[in-house]
Amino acid sequence: MVLVLALGDLHVPHRAADLPAKFKSMLVPGKIQHIICTGNLCIKEVHDYLKSLCPDLHITRGEYDEDARYPETKTLTIGLFKLGLCHGHQVVPWGDLDSLAMLQRQLDVDILVTGHTHQFKAYKHEGGVVINPGSATGAYSSITYDVNPSFVLMDIDGLRVVVYVYELIDGEVKVDKIDFKKTATMHA
Amino acid sequence: MAEGEKRRRFSNLRSVLWRVDLGILPASPEASVEEHRRAAADSRRRYVTLRRRLLVDPHVPKDESRSSDLVVDNPLSQNPDSSWGRFFKGAELEKTVDQDLSRLYPEDGSYFQTPACQAMLRRILLMWCLQHPEYGYRQGMHELLAPLVYVLQVDIDELSQVRKLHEDCFNDDFDGVPFLDTDMVFSYKPRKDPKWNLGYDDEYNSERSSKINTLDELDSDTKEIILLSDAYGAEGELGIVLSERFMEHDAYSMFDGLMDGGSGMVHMAEFFSPSSVGSSSNLPPVIEASSALYHLLSIVEPTLHNHFIELKVEPQWFALRWLRVLFGREFCLNDLLVVWDKVFACSNNMLLSSDEEYNFRILCSARGAFIAAMAVSMLLHIRSSLLATEIDIFCLQRLLNFPTNIDVQKLIEKATSLQSIAIEANTSFSSFLLKRDSCEYDRVHSNRATSTPPRTPLHPLSESYWEEKWRNVHKDGTTPKESEKGDSFSKQLKKSLTQRLGLSRTESDPSPVKVLSVKNDTRNSVRRCLLNTLSDDLERSNEVAGKIQQDEFPIGSVHREPPMSSAEPSKLKAAGENATVSPLCVAKVNPLKNYVVEPAHENATQRTKCIAESCSSGENSPVFYAASSGNEPENSQGIDSESSSVTSNSCAGDHDKDEILKDESSNSNDDSKTIQDSEAAFSDKSPDQDETSERAVVSNERKPFISKLQWLLKLGRPSVEGNMEKSSGETSDDKQGVDASHSPPSDGNSNNSRGSVKLASGDKKVMGTLKNLGQNMLENIQVIESAFQQDRGQPGPVENFSNNILGGKGQVTAMAALTELRKISNLLSEM
Repeated sequence: MVLVLALGDLHVPHRAADLPAKFKSMLVPGKIQHIICTGNLCIKEVHDYLKSLCPDLHITRGEYDEDARYPETKTLTIGLFKLGLCHGHQVVPWGDLDSLAMLQRQLDVDILVTGHTHQFKAYKHEGGVVINPGSATGAYSSITYDVNPSFVLMDIDGLRVVVYVYELIDGEVKVDKIDFKKTATMHA
Repeated sequence: MAEGEKRRRFSNLRSVLWRVDLGILPASPEASVEEHRRAAADSRRRYVTLRRRLLVDPHVPKDESRSSDLVVDNPLSQNPDSSWGRFFKGAELEKTVDQDLSRLYPEDGSYFQTPACQAMLRRILLMWCLQHPEYGYRQGMHELLAPLVYVLQVDIDELSQVRKLHEDCFNDDFDGVPFLDTDMVFSYKPRKDPKWNLGYDDEYNSERSSKINTLDELDSDTKEIILLSDAYGAEGELGIVLSERFMEHDAYSMFDGLMDGGSGMVHMAEFFSPSSVGSSSNLPPVIEASSALYHLLSIVEPTLHNHFIELKVEPQWFALRWLRVLFGREFCLNDLLVVWDKVFACSNNMLLSSDEEYNFRILCSARGAFIAAMAVSMLLHIRSSLLATEIDIFCLQRLLNFPTNIDVQKLIEKATSLQSIAIEANTSFSSFLLKRDSCEYDRVHSNRATSTPPRTPLHPLSESYWEEKWRNVHKDGTTPKESEKGDSFSKQLKKSLTQRLGLSRTESDPSPVKVLSVKNDTRNSVRRCLLNTLSDDLERSNEVAGKIQQDEFPIGSVHREPPMSSAEPSKLKAAGENATVSPLCVAKVNPLKNYVVEPAHENATQRTKCIAESCSSGENSPVFYAASSGNEPENSQGIDSESSSVTSNSCAGDHDKDEILKDESSNSNDDSKTIQDSEAAFSDKSPDQDETSERAVVSNERKPFISKLQWLLKLGRPSVEGNMEKSSGETSDDKQGVDASHSPPSDGNSNNSRGSVKLASGDKKVMGTLKNLGQNMLENIQVIESAFQQDRGQPGPVENFSNNILGGKGQVTAMAALTELRKISNLLSEM
């Protein structure tokens, strides 16, 4: 019953001022156990804010991040799942599933979380899951039109992970749920 | 199945007995085993449905709505309806519960610390708190639950003992007839008893085999246990009354029964709630129950009660723990079980009819009354060590560390005897303030409940505090008797005064909420003593010489009201100067002047008059004391809040007096603060009273006051009896604009009888007051001494007065009296 928040591409303060108010009201400290962030925060204040939500914070470096110390990729184990984190601008073509799958195999993870495209995506692919949480602030992107603010909350429970997607469409928060079960035989 | 009256059914099976008492199992002594089993089964079913409903796993998809609204039901949802929201709330609750559980009976090898037990306790508490969200989880609930689980466990152990002893009755041998696989059911051959196999054990075996064939051969207790645990009885396995499998269910029902009190009056859950819902006054129930405790204590043992009041020990400081955990922290577990046996044995039903008025909700049921009585008997047990403590911290220390080597049976017996008193006290109005009628009481009491130290007593009576003390000092040991009458007298007085001033307090016995009145009582008793000692001394001084006597009087009055002497001259001065002199002041001044001008009166008359005057002027004396304290700052060290509170309290409603005082104090270097305080106090007390009416009232009240004082003196001094009436007539003449009031003697008689009744109880009050007296005495002495210095310099209209004081012989006798004072104060402080 571990709750993991996945978000990224906030681009604060360059392309957006802050998280949407409705998102902010939902994100209260105490409920979430881990936060994984794909990158492009960009400033320290955002880092501090996320830290206040949950002390266990993992970030990878996006191309506009002002803190150069973030790693390019990161892997962590939560429960029975291995999670991989990367911003995604390194994987070319941006957003291509096969290339991301290559990265997933490289990192040897069950769940790969990347960003950069500012568009929510969740694939079940070759026994693993590739998730793109989109942009939490709905920041402008050169490769995506009409960006909606979105983020992802994963509920990891034993062999099952439930992915809740929160999107802000027309000023309303829409929630969607996707179930993934880890099969006994994962990738070699 | 019904046993003798003495021994209750199931007395060897505590858990069953308690379940009967708490209302879970049928309470009638003739209830059959089947009924018990059915009731047990029902309670268990209730628990299981509750558990299924409350312990919700948000992962498990709800059957009814597949497409539950995700906007509502997502983990981050703030919606209180969402199952996730409930989940998080439950998680928080669980964390709180765990904090307490980890500290429950932490001794090594303790049953309560085993993980299985902890898990069970946690679930039970969680379920109860989720079911009763208005109470939430409060520390202490786990300690109420623990003994319940313990007795269940004990009984299950007992059951296994019985099982071991009487295996045959428990196995499936179908009434003791063994059916072996090889045998035919209906067979002619002799059955092969498996026990015959072992040859050399023959006689032992034959013994055993002949042991039990039918249930009826067992004693009734064991038989009952076996029937209750028969797997084939009513409701099958669910109906087994002593069952390990259903221990959690039973514990929950017992806990629920205890907290909710069945349909009775005592709800333990109430003691945990901070709100005032469910109490008859606007106080949290536990505060109300604590005051019920004090009320009972005041009836049973007023000394201890007064001691608490003096030390400003509020009942809920220790009673909170006692009540919330039902003495769980004060006794060891085995003793506690005995106590709870008795507590639960008392019925929880409401004793009064629905329209009867009562004082305390807790005392409305036998169980509640027993709880209160138990607390009081515990207090009585450590009475002596409590009375020995001098400050509230030590007192509390003693209370919160209740001795462990106690005979619980004795305590319980005492409590049973007090229980009826408690129930009585609940409805008797004569001994308690009519809460309902007095909103003021509520206000004061709620203030008292919320703010820790009780406020300075506001009572309308302005007695001559200093006068009384002086008397007391000179009394030399016969004070108790007088203080008795003084108490009743003062109460009478207070009653009449309250009626006049429109306060709805009616109170003749000390009560816990009457910190004020009790203080007043003690002070009154002090004054009473002072009054008597004064008359004593005057008598004594009478024998010395005539002229000296006259000198004594002013000195006497100085003694009695040390501030008076200093303040009086200045007051008179101010009176002369001040255009707004009130009739009161004039009245005050006049008697004094009269007295001063006519030194040649009869001694007795003068004595009484002087007493009367001092009494009357004594109203001002504490107030003057404040003024004089400004005059003599070097002497006012250690003027504690008590004296200043006396100051402030003495002349309730005397706003005009305050003004005069203000003038005086402005003359001298002062701390007018005390006066302003007193003024503030007065304005609080009677904001709506007209000044003029006050004056009239005060002068009015002085009249009965004085007459009653005279009555008192009559009681104490038969010699001056004849003069009483005369002087009363005289003083009535002296007073201006005062109605010649009611006849003192008639009051006297009635008071007399009451006074004698009060003898026993008032006795103890004196002890506590004497200590305070000693300290005040010392202060007075210092004040007197400096007063002498001051008086010397007072010119003007007080010439007569000061001349009298400053007569050479007068001074000598004054000093002699002072040394007397000192001696007595030393005696007092030693006491």
